[in-house]
Amino acid sequence: MKFYKKNLREVFGETLVELGAKYPELLVLDADLNTSSRTALFKKRYPDRFIQCGIAEANMFGLAAGLAAQGFVPVPSTFATFASKKALDQVYVNIAYPNLNVKIPGSYAGMTATECGPSHNVAEDIAIMRALPNMRVLDIGDNHELRSAMHAMMEYEGPVYYRVSKFEAPELFPADHSFEFGRGQMLRDGSDVTLMGTGMMTGIALAAAELLDREGVSAAVVHLASIKPIDEELITRCAKKTGAIVTIENHRVFGGFGSAVAEVVTREYPVHVAMMGLGDEVFDSAPLADLLRHHELTPRAMARRAQALLRRKAMA
Amino acid sequence: MKHLTDEDVQTLETRAYTIRKLCLEFITNAGWGHLGGSFSEADILACLYHRVLQVDPQQPDAPTRDIFVLSKAHASPALYATLVTRGFIPVERLAGYCRLGGLDGHTQRGQCPGIEYSGGSLGTGLSFAAGTALGLRLKDNFQSRVVCLLGDGECNEGQIWEAAMSAAHYRLDNLIAVVDYNKVIAKGKISDLMPIEPLREKFASFGWTVLEIDGHDMREICSAFYRAKYLEMNGRPVVVIAHTVKGRGVPEFEFNYHWHTHAPRASQAEAFLVALNRQTGQSGVFNGPLREPRDGGLQVVVEEALS
Repeated sequence: MKFYKKNLREVFGETLVELGAKYPELLVLDADLNTSSRTALFKKRYPDRFIQCGIAEANMFGLAAGLAAQGFVPVPSTFATFASKKALDQVYVNIAYPNLNVKIPGSYAGMTATECGPSHNVAEDIAIMRALPNMRVLDIGDNHELRSAMHAMMEYEGPVYYRVSKFEAPELFPADHSFEFGRGQMLRDGSDVTLMGTGMMTGIALAAAELLDREGVSAAVVHLASIKPIDEELITRCAKKTGAIVTIENHRVFGGFGSAVAEVVTREYPVHVAMMGLGDEVFDSAPLADLLRHHELTPRAMARRAQALLRRKAMA
Repeated sequence: MKHLTDEDVQTLETRAYTIRKLCLEFITNAGWGHLGGSFSEADILACLYHRVLQVDPQQPDAPTRDIFVLSKAHASPALYATLVTRGFIPVERLAGYCRLGGLDGHTQRGQCPGIEYSGGSLGTGLSFAAGTALGLRLKDNFQSRVVCLLGDGECNEGQIWEAAMSAAHYRLDNLIAVVDYNKVIAKGKISDLMPIEPLREKFASFGWTVLEIDGHDMREICSAFYRAKYLEMNGRPVVVIAHTVKGRGVPEFEFNYHWHTHAPRASQAEAFLVALNRQTGQSGVFNGPLREPRDGGLQVVVEEALS
């Protein structure tokens, strides 16, 4: 598995500049985090379309709603934890419910705020955003996928929440990859179990499939960046073919990606689903690799979960 | 509180120096942390913990204690270091800063003695402090005071002003807010990004008594807290606007937003300690050898599994 040298947040900053050239109605709003989120690149190129809101997130999302009502496409940018919780009321009442065209990036999503600890790492944003009406929700796992998704959402009218985690991603897709809402990708075919990942965790799933292969287990790997809408057809096909699914997410296992998969499986073709992610606990302050190991979100842990699920499947 | 002698001032300044030195050391070792805001508040914390607050490390939960709330919780390093100098936690705890099971990057209630407030989301501490002050009042505790240290940047947050309104309405004269007004927020000067002036008039118009001081002058800091604590019990909450220098003590850090969230490399840290010694006229070395922080992301975890 190869990894990009360029951090995902750099791709975010560069793509915003690209979009700025193509869409004059695009505005970027910031809450004193522009060099962290990398919206600083847009600020430098389009200072007149960069709006500094200070450390006042609720107001920033209110401003974004008003700007969207005037026909602009605002990108209110802050850490995922603040976009989804601190400004939730404004996101719900002023943006999601009236279906305004605001594109909301969640920076430093999941545990990628690392040393910042429980206040800045976030494990609830997917669950929260997924529950809002009209809101589309993405957790991106690849540099080319991010760029393509940011272009795609400009062609879509309505609110979108997309995670921009701070990490160096594994290379999942070629440069000409085309993102589509509600469309997942089978990265590796297999017949015994399907490992489903979203965002940065698909890399873990691919490595877990490799470990399972060494143990004689044929694991399929599916990447689903689009969590809402989600690729129901692909999920159902995997359920039918492998009869067992393990999901993994950089998020809590309550109401997030695994839940979204399970909702489809339960309705369309019930099979065993095991969900990996954070439980009823918080992400500590620590470097990324230590957090992954501590919360057992590693390839070995995922392979173990898959084996356990296969034993249950055999007993059923 | 007795008159402050020259020797008292010297002792407090040495405490503040020690706080900064410890911060520099454990932030370097962790490879992450907020130096600028820790250095600007160091004199205020030294004065509070060694002169003003009624707290006892042997009885950190004593019901009549004063309660401190660090609303600008990203500047936790200076608070952790202060708690070390006051005997609340052993110096060894600092080595666990931003490590699994150790002290968090932003303060977490109950994580160690003396930390009463979970923070990290800016603008929320003054409400917690006002609620605490109201609770003390409802319990007929007229002895304890609540001191809340705010950053200037978080005065952008609307909740600060909701808290200010409620504290004045409930006549919480057992509440003292301090603004560490270091003029620089994460990405630039606050006066450029989202100005908070006129700050004195804002608090005054919300019904607060306002004191304004040089936040690096020990005599001014101490006399302001003395006044706030004992002389201004007139039904109004008190705010001390402390004018400070972000990154105070190391010339490279001062008013430089680059050092808001940034850790030096070990070799840089040695040089910064020399600068700190020179600025403060004190001498000191780090407690132990500096370590290069461990790093490693997703790739490390994937590769160690497949190897």
